[in-house]
Amino acid sequence: MAPGAWRCAVMPSMGLTIGVCSATFRTAPFGVRERAAEPVAGILAETGASDRAWIDSGPDDGGWRIGAAGRWTLDAAGPASAALDAAPRPGRGAAVRLDMARVEALDTVGAYLLGRLAERLTVEGHAVAVVGLRPEHAALFGAVRDAGKAPPRPVQREHRPIVDMVVRTGETTVGAVKEALDLVGFLGLVTVTFLRLILRPSRLRLTSVLFHIEQTGLNALPILGLLSFLIGVVLAFQGADQLKRFGAELYVVNLLGISVLREIGILMTAIIVAGRSGSAFTAQIGTMKVNQEVDAIGTMGLDPVELLVVPRALALMITLPLLAFYADVMGLFGGAVMAYATLDITFGQFIRQLHSAVGINTVIAGLIKAPVFALVIAMVGCYEGLKVSGSAESVGIMTTKAVVEGIFLVIVIDAVFSVLFSFLGV
Amino acid sequence: MGDAPVIRVRGLVTRFGPQTIHDGLDLDVERGEVLGVVGGSGTGKSVLLKEILGLIQPAAGTIELLGHDIAGLDRAERTALQARTGVLFQNGALFSSMTVAENVMLPLKEHTALPPALIAEVARVKIAMAGLPPDAGTKHPAQLSGGMIKRAGLARALALDPDILFLDEPTAGLDPIGAAAFDALIQGLQRSLGLTVFMVTHDLDSLTSICDRIAVLVDKTIRVGTLAQHLADPHPWIHEYFHGPRGRAALDAKERNAALRHAKG
Repeated sequence: MAPGAWRCAVMPSMGLTIGVCSATFRTAPFGVRERAAEPVAGILAETGASDRAWIDSGPDDGGWRIGAAGRWTLDAAGPASAALDAAPRPGRGAAVRLDMARVEALDTVGAYLLGRLAERLTVEGHAVAVVGLRPEHAALFGAVRDAGKAPPRPVQREHRPIVDMVVRTGETTVGAVKEALDLVGFLGLVTVTFLRLILRPSRLRLTSVLFHIEQTGLNALPILGLLSFLIGVVLAFQGADQLKRFGAELYVVNLLGISVLREIGILMTAIIVAGRSGSAFTAQIGTMKVNQEVDAIGTMGLDPVELLVVPRALALMITLPLLAFYADVMGLFGGAVMAYATLDITFGQFIRQLHSAVGINTVIAGLIKAPVFALVIAMVGCYEGLKVSGSAESVGIMTTKAVVEGIFLVIVIDAVFSVLFSFLGV
Repeated sequence: MGDAPVIRVRGLVTRFGPQTIHDGLDLDVERGEVLGVVGGSGTGKSVLLKEILGLIQPAAGTIELLGHDIAGLDRAERTALQARTGVLFQNGALFSSMTVAENVMLPLKEHTALPPALIAEVARVKIAMAGLPPDAGTKHPAQLSGGMIKRAGLARALALDPDILFLDEPTAGLDPIGAAAFDALIQGLQRSLGLTVFMVTHDLDSLTSICDRIAVLVDKTIRVGTLAQHLADPHPWIHEYFHGPRGRAALDAKERNAALRHAKG
């Protein structure tokens, strides 16, 4: 090595960086560091020669020589990058020879680091000559140098927190309004398709409708039954606790009857179905959209709304009232069991009291909402499914949106019904 | 490493239910070669690829990758081996929630301890080497064309400088010009990076232009040879494959190109 040379070894296994090496050098005039002792060589011996990249840099007959040696691969790249950044720079305008004769192994990252070094030196005004490149490395080095030449375009957007927040709020608001309008438009489209099918019932896909009745109705029975039963139990238990204080235990039946039949039964059903079937609709139609199946339907002269949306909506409008009735029965049954267990109200007493407490109009006030909820859930589910674009991620986003919007609309419409019923005096 | 084959398959048997796909299949892939794998539909080309990658367990037989039997590896060894293989799936299989640059950076982040700035630079180089424009890095896969998705998938497959590159129908769905460019890209990268390439393909032009050897899946096993050897093979499927109209066209094109190159210098 030439006198006054600088040398650093990089050993990935030890994570050794230039900090250790450069400590032994002291800066001399003209930006050239003079070599002190040989501690670097000592460290080198310890690690063995298997996995290291090293570089030495120093003046060499009139010019400057940078010698790379060892294994310039991905494993050594982190420390090697740091070492290259810290390596002493040649004097102004000196011709640089980048000697790669002793490079044993080279991969893309190593080639990039050395190429970047050569590029930087060139930019600083040195004439850089790469010498000693082994034939098996030449192609790689050339390819990486060419690829690395494309200048990085820094994509830095100005960060303006307050303006960004206002913009986002505005975008979300406009988006929500547009979404609501689109949904109303979609409702119109589905209605028109429905009417067309009523005129030509033979076009209705009965098999599809029955399939979705099974999927959304029959298969939902176990979970819906269990949850409604438990809600009935909880309501009866809490109601009994309060009513006991007034000695009005029997009125727990009234409480149960009104709340389950009017609100809780149908609301629970709608929420469970929105989570279960609304999301399934979005995922099914969304995946079809990703696979271009929806496009295929369109090109075959078929109507995606007629083929995909109407059977689902119709199936849900048939199943949801039935499911709601089933949830009512299970909820009352749960309440009756609890009333028997804690208040000693027999089933006979329970039914007699129920008869006197609620009329048929209470039941109807609950169940009349079911088809409306069904239509809303199916519409939102199918609409979001058709809005899926391109990717798998989009299916996930839209499915989440369908469930949230479905449940939101169900509760809003329930509130509207309550106001309406109170006006009508039902 | 010596001259040991980088992929070594012995006595491979694959069954799906009652159906036998491979029966006693042997295959050696040598270091630095480009092997094209062809076969009719249902002969188990993709299945073979998945078995070598360890995604499917074969019913019998051994598969050695870079000298390691893939069945007997523990988790750490498997991960280390996977870092030395790169896979380009048929449709790119880019992660749709990430940008192209993030896709390429992911294996580097997971498998190396490089500083983030260097990872970003290396990813940029890989994207450029795969022949994508610099602004492609910030795009999401949904914004790319089919050819660009393949190139982005290739950049990700090459992220860790693998020894072996697996390609599943790399030129399927590309226009002829794009396919030829992709072939040239693969050949250039294979030469400069010293890759071993295992390529499932149906593109006869790829087979004739960049493959060193061709493996044909017939009769539940595999026949490996050079193009010339396959041309002389009397097996009806192989004969039909290489001597059918499309095969002839590809061969003629190859001869024309060779003659042109010869004439030029």
